[in-house]
Amino acid sequence: MNEMNKTRKLVFMALLTALELIVWVIEGQIPALIPVPGVKLGLASVITLTAMAVLGRKEAGCILLARILLGALFAGSVSAVLFSLAGGALSWCVMALLLGHFERKLMWVVSVFGAIGHNAGQLLAAIAVTGTPSLVWYGPALLASAIVTGAFTGLGAMYLTGALERYRGRSKE
Amino acid sequence: MKRKTLFWIVLFGALAALGAGAYLLHGGGTRAVISVDGQVWRTVDLSAVTEPYTFTVETEDGWNTIQAAPGSIQVVDADCPHQDCVKQGAISDGAIPIVCLPHKLVIEIDE
Repeated sequence: MNEMNKTRKLVFMALLTALELIVWVIEGQIPALIPVPGVKLGLASVITLTAMAVLGRKEAGCILLARILLGALFAGSVSAVLFSLAGGALSWCVMALLLGHFERKLMWVVSVFGAIGHNAGQLLAAIAVTGTPSLVWYGPALLASAIVTGAFTGLGAMYLTGALERYRGRSKE
Repeated sequence: MKRKTLFWIVLFGALAALGAGAYLLHGGGTRAVISVDGQVWRTVDLSAVTEPYTFTVETEDGWNTIQAAPGSIQVVDADCPHQDCVKQGAISDGAIPIVCLPHKLVIEIDE
């Protein structure tokens, strides 16, 4: 990605932001399979992790932040932004730390840890906002949910990253 | 490489099973505790409820109408934007609490 000039990179980041935003909005419109707060597939994280692998940590953070703030305009409320930020920030930190240490075929592992971080962040924010420490008992269920959804979105990000790299390789010729 | 993949699959599989197991085992009880902003607002003994009845909690941030029924409790209406607490439906065990984040309202079942 080093040879990508600034304009191309900016356009690509804008495209990924739009993509992540629309995926997030559409997923929010689909009735949840399990109507439990916090249990969600989180398809938007496919784009965040892909951006991190293809562009870099900082760029992925910008895209994620832009999606959260724009998402609040489209579908959210002020209190929802707080939870998105808590989950997103922790998830980003975890994935940024781990991404360099795993080979491509194990990218889904990074995503699982990211999802665990996301749910932990949201749970901590919920405990802080409601002042109810016993919500921590909800943790094991959120852990199981994060592992399943994180593996799924991680596989998505792995294939998307591979597809993008193949496309870039071809367009260079 | 394959061994590493297997390692992570086994580790995460075990963790997910543990989490799901703990969630399924943690439960039971008939006392519903309704708290607002960390303070207990009201407790309802669900085993003593014979006819379903509703009551409304007024918080600083909005209201939730709660229905207590024999053995279960749910939020039937609220003026929050996402209606997550309403969509969740009735709970009858301690596994998953009802949480209305905008109103800082939590309904848990314990004992």
